[in-house]
Amino acid sequence: MRANKEKELRILKRKNLFTLMSRFLEDREVIAPIKGHGGEVIFYPIEKIEDVAWDWTYVNTVLPPKRFFLPQTEELFHYKNQNKGYEITPIYNDRVRMIFGIRPCDVNALLFLDKFFGGGPIGRRVPVAEPGILQDRYYATRRANTFIIAFGCHQPGENCFCICCDSGPFLKEGFDLQLTQLGGDEYIVELGSARGLKIFYGHEDLFRSATNAEEKRLTEIKDEATQQFGNTRAYISKAIHKITRNQVPDELWENLSDRCHNCGGCSYVCPTCCCYNVVDVPINKSEGSRIRTWDSCAFAGFTKLAGGDNPRSEKKDRLKRRFFHKLSYHYIEKNGRHGCVGCGRCITTCFANISMPDIADKIRKGITS
Amino acid sequence: MKDIYLPDVTTIDDITEETGDVTTFTLRFKDKRLQEEFDYRPGQFVEVSVFGVGEIPISITSTPSRPGFLELSIKNAGLVSGALHKLSKGAEVGVRGPFGNGFPYERAFGKNLLFVGGGIGLAPLRSLINFALDNRDRFADFSILYGSRTPADLVFRKELELLGKRPDVRTFITVDRGDDQWQGNVGVVTTLFPKADITSEDTLAFICGPPVMIPFVIHGLIKIGFSDETIISTLERHMKCGVGKCGHCCIGHKYVCQDGPVFSYKEMKEMVEKA
Ligand SMILES: Cc1cc2nc3c(=O)[nH]c(=O)nc-3n(C[C@H](O)[C@H](O)[C@H](O)COP(=O)(O)OP(=O)(O)OC[C@H]3O[C@@H](n4cnc5c(N)ncnc54)[C@H](O)[C@@H]3O)c2cc1C
Ligand code: SF4
Ligand code: SF4
Ligand code: FES
Repeated sequence: MRANKEKELRILKRKNLFTLMSRFLEDREVIAPIKGHGGEVIFYPIEKIEDVAWDWTYVNTVLPPKRFFLPQTEELFHYKNQNKGYEITPIYNDRVRMIFGIRPCDVNALLFLDKFFGGGPIGRRVPVAEPGILQDRYYATRRANTFIIAFGCHQPGENCFCICCDSGPFLKEGFDLQLTQLGGDEYIVELGSARGLKIFYGHEDLFRSATNAEEKRLTEIKDEATQQFGNTRAYISKAIHKITRNQVPDELWENLSDRCHNCGGCSYVCPTCCCYNVVDVPINKSEGSRIRTWDSCAFAGFTKLAGGDNPRSEKKDRLKRRFFHKLSYHYIEKNGRHGCVGCGRCITTCFANISMPDIADKIRKGITS
Repeated sequence: MKDIYLPDVTTIDDITEETGDVTTFTLRFKDKRLQEEFDYRPGQFVEVSVFGVGEIPISITSTPSRPGFLELSIKNAGLVSGALHKLSKGAEVGVRGPFGNGFPYERAFGKNLLFVGGGIGLAPLRSLINFALDNRDRFADFSILYGSRTPADLVFRKELELLGKRPDVRTFITVDRGDDQWQGNVGVVTTLFPKADITSEDTLAFICGPPVMIPFVIHGLIKIGFSDETIISTLERHMKCGVGKCGHCCIGHKYVCQDGPVFSYKEMKEMVEKA
């Protein structure tokens, strides 16, 4: 009986979704898409329900939600030198959080980062890393304590190509709940985890069971969404093949380097880029913090050695690095999937027009300009 | 499970000035149990912290066959290494590790050992040399070729002299530029190959030195007849984490901090980026 109930789809009215969020707001952090000052939609911890930008003018946010798991600037530990010498106190953020409205591509990016950073199975307070993976406890703690209330994309955006990256427009795994807009003011809710089920049981007054017709409608919506990608093709697998074998002519990277400004924007907006720098920030002579901040392989200083040597001093080598890391088969083996989830943010962001679908296409066709 | 980014506190118990800009530090963990449990392979490195300044990767120059302490030889090359040089006995520094693969010395059991070092690159080789000497009967001949820019830049000079006196070890030293007192060899380290009568027969070569030196040494060894698998070298890359996460040290898909820093020339040739 209960097993059946677990599989059942639920219906949640928009009004009830807001009620659910306000209930969560009482004792935990709620992260949702809000409108920034310039009108762009961003993920942000909300204070009140009215902040939420759910007029559906966004498909995805300018910045990925990765900063809630790997903050742009993060304190790793505090050190203090007292009479007895140095004491070191790590700072883990285990606050329980709910992220609402995260898109399937970005959830797949989290699954990628989980593998890389040793994020445990979601829903565990004490995260467990897969055997053989060194765990980043800062990432893993945040990740384990964050509920994923994903939104399936019934209407993909113009730059989206998750369909070519096996990462959308709907999730098959990696969510606690997945909501899809049914039309009208209702969402159909899929259950993805044990702790998602607890949300159902804890708030039974807000959900009702979906009818057979509604269940069928969800399948249709998913099919229709997939149709909407039309001719979008990123040809990722062809590019993977050539990049892995080092068969991409150097001229491609050389030509692109005339355009690239080394701004690092691609890395910052990319939901799977996770390279970082580490610096110490003293408060006074005996006390301070070790901080990590986002970094990018696009920056010339990324590989610079003391004394001035730099093995990746040329722009073309840095561009090659970025695409090699995203697509080479060696990394697929390591991280469980390739490093592009088709979110399309690099298309939107790069003012030199260096984007994943474009470069993958050039690699496939052997075009170097 | 231990937090991979948290250093343990060690005390500087001894300081030896090797040259004008290289100093050897003897460290012991404050927590005695940690000191007892700390085990490593020659060629592995640690991340050393000067709190408030930063953290850098430094090879362990002592050998695991003489436990109880940790020796690091550090060249004053910038911010953190410079700050280390300002510390005195009794000061505390953080240590994480050991990291990296270390030298594959098992492959050299029963074979001749050839060490080719340049400058501060002797530091990790010293760990392996002393380790191999403590297990002398497992290896055949020992040849140590070492070069530095000037006589004043030679590190571990006393130790090298002592080694030179052993009947079962051959040492050859050279400098790029001599001075008034210098009576030894002058020339880059590869000029020692014919002098030392190096052959590739049953020999494994271990190289460590500045990035400019390594290709020349490899090339020289290949000319003598060494095969790609028998040439083993360390590689140096910008590092932050030491645990394969920060992304700074990658060469192609290899993480120098985890898959290295020791690679055979065969592995180096297979890399997608230039090693
Ligand atoms: C595996 C390994 C073992 C090493 N062993 C030794 C050793 O035994 N003795 C020794 O004197 N030096 C060694 N080095 C080099 C040493 O790490 C650098 O000299 C040192 O990082 C310079 O840091 P800095 O803050 O003084 O200089 P800065 O120029 O201020 O460097 C800033 C930061 O860049 C990074 N960085 C700069 N240069 C290097 C470099 N060459 N290698 C790695 N990271 C770098 C570090 O994160 C450093 O904190 C080793 C390097 C590696 C990779
Ligand atoms: S490479 Fe571009 S499209 Fe792919 S995940 Fe990163 S930002 Fe998104
Ligand atoms: S190496 Fe470059 S492409 Fe790869 S994660 Fe780091 S910044 Fe992103
Ligand atoms: S030093 Fe951070 S990945 Fe190797």
